[in-house]
Amino acid sequence: MDELEPHSLGDEEFDDETHSFEFWFGAVEGYLSDRPYGHRPATVEEPLDKRERDRLITTLCNYCTGETAALEGASGLVRLAPNHNAKIFMATQVVDEARHLEVFLRRLADLGVSDPDAEIARRANPALLEFKAALLALVGNEDWSAAVFAQNVILETMEYTVFRAHADNADPVTAEVLRGVISDERRHLGFGETHIGRGLADGSADRSRLQEVRGDLEAMVLRVFEDALDDAGVPPDERPELGRDYLEAVDRLGMAL
Amino acid sequence: MTDAESSAPPNSRDSRRTYELEDLGFNEVPKKWRKFYRHWTGPGDELAPNEILCPVCKVVIRSGREFRPGDKVYCMPCMSRMVVVEGPGGRLEAEVVF
Repeated sequence: MDELEPHSLGDEEFDDETHSFEFWFGAVEGYLSDRPYGHRPATVEEPLDKRERDRLITTLCNYCTGETAALEGASGLVRLAPNHNAKIFMATQVVDEARHLEVFLRRLADLGVSDPDAEIARRANPALLEFKAALLALVGNEDWSAAVFAQNVILETMEYTVFRAHADNADPVTAEVLRGVISDERRHLGFGETHIGRGLADGSADRSRLQEVRGDLEAMVLRVFEDALDDAGVPPDERPELGRDYLEAVDRLGMAL
Repeated sequence: MTDAESSAPPNSRDSRRTYELEDLGFNEVPKKWRKFYRHWTGPGDELAPNEILCPVCKVVIRSGREFRPGDKVYCMPCMSRMVVVEGPGGRLEAEVVF
């Protein structure tokens, strides 16, 4: 076993490798290169009845709202990021979020939605719009740790859980689109937990401030994604415990209540 | 789970079993790193001595030699740094290090 293992890298080497655009290129090439707009052209559409189509449109409108929040949040966070690796990683996240928004908009178009902006405005969950405003206020106030916690820990961790449950119950095209998004989300939630954890360890993040953000925002996001699972038609007995991954994350951060 | 144990004798510096890793189709990291990870199929997915579950993103992390408590382990798909610890019942687990 003489070959280089990831586990034999030094800590800085590992961070430099995984936060780089080179790493990002090599990663997304693996699961997106043959999937324009997130799915293989040969994947066959499954007919949806009127009610299924309507519920999927609502779900996708909410995903578009969440992705727009993350796109605007991440783009603002590039300027606030405290070091080169964090700036470069956040730039890759901006690209990911823009792609997510694009593939969900394309899926809405596939479903016959001709005016997505109007449809999103009509169907977006008010709690999600409230979360988006709160996130962008944190970014606007240049509160790096609070904004990363809100975006990459609270939002991304819950999205990760919901997208996985939805992908297991979705039509084939939507499922493929979601699986590509899920692969991106691993990086985003991992970045959030890692950077908040390091910030708490070195004192650059304020634990009480993060607890305050948690108190303000987590119930809001939990409610949004419970509604999303309803809209996505995920049967109750197949639903994950929505907050479990998120609560495990805050527990690892030493922020359990 | 699926890697062949190496036919070579254990490394003289330690007595760990070694494994020939194969690419198991995990495509979320650059090619040169893909064989060090695989998808987890759920609670019934039995891990081999050279495998450990990332608690952050639930990907199986793999190595060319069996894991032991105290080993450093990196999850590239979610960029987490961890250390191997002995959990309840002696099962090895990865604990995130910040």
